[in-house]
Amino acid sequence: MTHALQATNIQKTFSGAEPFQALRGISLTLAKGEFVSITGKSGCGKSTLLYILSTLDTAYQGTLHLCGEQVTGQSQDQLASFRSRHLGFVFQFHYLLPDFTCLENVMIPALRLGAKPIAEIEHDAMEKLRLLGVGEQATKLASKISGGQQQRVAIARALINDPAILMGDEPTGNLDSRNTGIVFDLFQGIVRDFGKTVLTVTHDPDFARRSDRVIEVVDGCVN
Amino acid sequence: MTKPFRMKIETQIALTFMRSRPKMTIVASLGVMFGIGMYIFMNSIIAGTNDYFEKVTLMSTPHLRIYQKVPRNDETILGQRLSDGSIPLVVNPQLVPTVTRIRDPYSLMDRLRRDPDLLAVSPQVSANLTVSKGSVEKNANLCGVDILEQDRMFDIASTLIAGSLRDQQQLTDGILIGAVLAQDLGVSVGDHLLLAASGHSSRSLRVTGIFRTTIKAVDEAKIYAHPEAVQQILQTDRSYVTELFVNVRDYDHLTKPMAQKLRERTGYSVETWEEANEQSLAGRVIRNILANAMIFTILLVAGFGIYNILNMTIYEKIKEIAILKATGFAGGHVVSIFLRQSLFIGLLGGVVGVLFGAGLSLGMSHVPIGVGGLSHLPITFRFQDYLLGFLFGTGTAFFAGLIPALKASRVDPVSIIRG
Ligand SMILES: Nc1ncnc2c1ncn2[C@@H]1O[C@H](COP(=O)(O)OP(=O)(O)OP(=O)(O)O)[C@@H](O)[C@H]1O
Ligand SMILES: [Mg+2]
Repeated sequence: MTHALQATNIQKTFSGAEPFQALRGISLTLAKGEFVSITGKSGCGKSTLLYILSTLDTAYQGTLHLCGEQVTGQSQDQLASFRSRHLGFVFQFHYLLPDFTCLENVMIPALRLGAKPIAEIEHDAMEKLRLLGVGEQATKLASKISGGQQQRVAIARALINDPAILMGDEPTGNLDSRNTGIVFDLFQGIVRDFGKTVLTVTHDPDFARRSDRVIEVVDGCVN
Repeated sequence: MTKPFRMKIETQIALTFMRSRPKMTIVASLGVMFGIGMYIFMNSIIAGTNDYFEKVTLMSTPHLRIYQKVPRNDETILGQRLSDGSIPLVVNPQLVPTVTRIRDPYSLMDRLRRDPDLLAVSPQVSANLTVSKGSVEKNANLCGVDILEQDRMFDIASTLIAGSLRDQQQLTDGILIGAVLAQDLGVSVGDHLLLAASGHSSRSLRVTGIFRTTIKAVDEAKIYAHPEAVQQILQTDRSYVTELFVNVRDYDHLTKPMAQKLRERTGYSVETWEEANEQSLAGRVIRNILANAMIFTILLVAGFGIYNILNMTIYEKIKEIAILKATGFAGGHVVSIFLRQSLFIGLLGGVVGVLFGAGLSLGMSHVPIGVGGLSHLPITFRFQDYLLGFLFGTGTAFFAGLIPALKASRVDPVSIIRG
């Protein structure tokens, strides 16, 4: 049985006038169907780690396997395709495309992947938006809704391609407890019912406690 | 939008980016529009000018002129008679007056007229002589021609300002004279003129028509008469013909090979209309170079405009590019989005530019000139100018977009998203 994620001795140093080692040899394994939270003080390296695990950042030492495939050393285009097929990502700051509607924002990664007909993609996107309580915002421009609503649209976008692994950098950071609960239940649902793997950074102790496992990062190391 | 994404995703994103910045899109398209419009206009006016000069040239020059060269002095004959070691020395060479005429012209013309590539063959009996009315005397270039055959070549009828070709054809002592010459002599249709060749006889002929070609050298010296009348003045036989004018079927392509063919077949010198008017061909070459330089500059400026605007767009959209790449768009997809954008700008500017070029050309073709035979700015509408203008314009837009698009594809998403 392959792991969903296997990181071995990940190190990251920001070069510059004063080189700074943000990650000091992190190894970590996630089984398929696990719901894992990452916690740690601000500046300890959580986001840095997540960018590497999500294949966006390729300037690191160590090796990374996702879904049984070694992604370390793959080309940018291969990684883009890999992300499209297997990964969903919710950024710390939500980053929607402001010129497009919420619905279009959710649809775009699926259209890029091109695995389903447009009508089906539109239907699924609408479904996800409704699930997250932002169905009524579907036809509004992404730049014309509140921060919490944007965050939920971003979560819908991350889920649209039914990714094997979903990563989030404080995906509930802007949400009230009711909506945080909705998102948590949604994540737990895809883990339990569809065997997906979820890895989220969170500052919410409640959220962390309710997940399967908590990983604490301290100064670029895993405790 | 109720029905999002019916087009390819890259197309849709490109269009949305363009729609979100309408002013930029319009300014970039305007650049292409001006480029293409000017390309079309410049080419139309150059083609018009070339056509005009060609028309004027062909109004007085036949496609081919068959004539006998005055034989030049030739030392080879002398060399043949001398033994080895002697040096031929010719002092004060003189031309022997020889008659430069076409021998047996009528059977030659019969042969030429059987050639399907030759449209018209007109024998010329020309002579330089003086023409006088009372005490006023002028030099003139008398051409003995079959006026109807000549009309087929030079459309003399359209230049007539008085009299008629029919009268000229019927009256054996009739002449057509240039408008300036008629004015200088103070004659009008019906008047008689005395034509005299030096050392030959003179004859009184009647004016049946006056023509104005706007070519001054022609209008102030040319006189058309019947060949027989000229032969009588020169006191020569009825087969005296100085040269043959020939028009061919396709004068753009056939004159050169036909000239070569006739040279070989007849043994006479054959001059093409291009050779007879080399200075106007030089003018054409210079006009083309000027136009190409201008067009190149215009397209270059339009290209820089698009390059700048796309660079700005990419700088503005760098966050969006990062998001797209993070959510699965590869470098090639990003290139595709921005190339589409520049292609759309090119197409938009292209369509409007073609209309602009057509409108500008049409408008300028009404600008009055009123010099020579030119009433308006000469403009020729050619489909190829519009097609090439469109292709060059969109091509320029496309290539101008290439560098910014490649730059966009190299955006590193983490460095943008990390903030
Ligand atoms: N581009 C960079 N160049 C240099 N150092 C950086 C850079 N980005 C981040 N760092 C440093 O790396 C460390 C880890 O940053 P990171 O963003 O991963 O923190 P974090 O754990 O996500 O914090 P937060 O909870 O506030 O989001 C920080 O000390 C930060 O100063
Ligand atoms: Mg962070």
